[in-house]
Amino acid sequence: MMSLLRLAWSNLWRNRRRTWITLAALAFSIMLVQTSHNLSTGVYSQMIESGVRAGSGHLTVYRGNYLETRDEKLGFNPQEFSEKLKSIEAVETVLPRIYLAGLAQSSRESRGIVLSGIDPLLEQSINPILKRLPASSGLPDMASRQALVGDRLLKELQLKEGSKFVVTLQNRQGEMVSELLRVHGVVHSGIRHLDRSLVMIGLHRAATLAGMPDEVHELALILKNGLGNETPAAEIAALLPGDRGLRLYFWDEAMTNLANAIKLDYASQQFMFLIILMIVTIGVVNTLLMAVMERTREFGTILALGARASVLHRMLFLEALILGALGLLLGTFFGSLATWYLVEKGIDLQNWIEGELEFGGVVFEPVMRAVWEPLWMLKIGIYVLSLCILASLYPAYRAGRIVPAESMRK
Amino acid sequence: MGLIQLRDVLKTYHAGVQQVDAVRGVNLQIKAGEFAALAGPSGSGKTTLLNLIGGLDQASAGQVIVDGCNLAQCSPTELADFRLQRIGFIFQSFNLIPVLTARENAEFVLMLRKVPVEKRHDRIDFLFRELGISGLEQRRPMELSGGQQQRVAVARAMAAEPAVVLADEPTANLDSDTATDLLFLMQRLNREQGTTFLFSSHDPKVIGLADRVVNLKDGRIVE
Repeated sequence: MMSLLRLAWSNLWRNRRRTWITLAALAFSIMLVQTSHNLSTGVYSQMIESGVRAGSGHLTVYRGNYLETRDEKLGFNPQEFSEKLKSIEAVETVLPRIYLAGLAQSSRESRGIVLSGIDPLLEQSINPILKRLPASSGLPDMASRQALVGDRLLKELQLKEGSKFVVTLQNRQGEMVSELLRVHGVVHSGIRHLDRSLVMIGLHRAATLAGMPDEVHELALILKNGLGNETPAAEIAALLPGDRGLRLYFWDEAMTNLANAIKLDYASQQFMFLIILMIVTIGVVNTLLMAVMERTREFGTILALGARASVLHRMLFLEALILGALGLLLGTFFGSLATWYLVEKGIDLQNWIEGELEFGGVVFEPVMRAVWEPLWMLKIGIYVLSLCILASLYPAYRAGRIVPAESMRK
Repeated sequence: MGLIQLRDVLKTYHAGVQQVDAVRGVNLQIKAGEFAALAGPSGSGKTTLLNLIGGLDQASAGQVIVDGCNLAQCSPTELADFRLQRIGFIFQSFNLIPVLTARENAEFVLMLRKVPVEKRHDRIDFLFRELGISGLEQRRPMELSGGQQQRVAVARAMAAEPAVVLADEPTANLDSDTATDLLFLMQRLNREQGTTFLFSSHDPKVIGLADRVVNLKDGRIVE
């Protein structure tokens, strides 16, 4: 086996240029696939983190089918268990929220809005919308009439900071109720439909206005370490009272737009990976097949000397294995180098793209950063190695069918 | 009984619609230890006959029995094993593997036979000494002269101590002196080690060194 290995190694370097070109193609594709995957995973993580913090959290509690129907009557009182949820080690915070559809009227215009009742103190360190609030604005008071208004809505209602406007909505009892609010600050999410419909006020005022005191529509849980392998979902679910129709949702169930956008993006990327790997496989088949064609006479000699066809099969298998292993080492080296750069420095898209970056209804940071996925890098390496070995099957079959007497006549 | 027995051997090739009878009803016996030559002009069937005896090709009709093996009844794998265990080949163009050293080339058959490394080394050292190419073990074929390459090929053929060494025009690519030297070497190995040699040539000088000459013409043995 050792001599065959040495023979396979020497054979590979007969045509150095061809071997180097094949190796470069192999290494480049491995690097490309590994780096793209690491970058995508990093960007998806950024998107998910931005999404869950501005949206429904890593995990969310809803009542009944609120998620599908957005039926405002499906509120629930979280008081008796929200403290217990907060005490779970993995939970960073629990954000109670109310969402109400209504109409906002200024002295000049009126617009349909989503009135969001939040706890500004809890949200300020989590929610990127509030994080972007200018320091001069400060947070609105929970019980006051102070409201945060989306920048586009502000423009459309022709309001400015300090202006008064009226919000009208239907409360739980079916009565139309109105509330006079004052613009305390302007928020900008970067998401067009949100910026032209969002009004945020204190949770208690919103609940009272909707005739559902102490109730919320959504309890968003932010986890300290995100959604890793040890998600405390079971622990959380066990703390929810069983008789109120409450259910725990993962972020991808609550934010299907984002989840589907990521799935679609990743699926198209995997398709690209497949094409890249197919091209590389064809390259390896070509290299090995050319090597077989060039060595017909030599293979004939080896067979004439008494080697079985399986010796040639093994030799070509070893050539493919060496080629794949070298490609894997080189590709992983450069893939790691590229990943290291993208983890440390990232790609700043601000130089190329103006305005916010929105994907799947989520605005994310303009610096794309990769994450390390060593297991996946290893997996893709093993795939490529397997493809190289597969690529040796046909050339090996051709080599095994050489007739010694005929090959020697050529 | 002969080491090599050919009975009414016929070999026909098909080139498109044309049928070529390369060997026509050959009967031949070669005894163990003989130093025999197949003589005849190009196209007389020398190479075809050597290929049939060496199990590189199978006869269209008749029997080829070498060292007790009826080659007509062998599968491709059995033929490969037969070549490995009983035949040593020397080719006109040397056919050394260019990426291997002289020693590795000579050891190749022993490697296929899974002979331990030390034994391989001993055997090749001995043969290289006998053939006068000691010191060239680490050279690659392209660093050797034609005569040296053919000696390495002889070492490869003799390495596994085969029942018979078949040499197809072994001196065709060598100058006259080198060719004669090589034949003397082969003759000495035949005498000292008792190995049967059957070689083909159309060079009368080379043929003259054989103990027995089998003349071929148009695929038939002629007196």
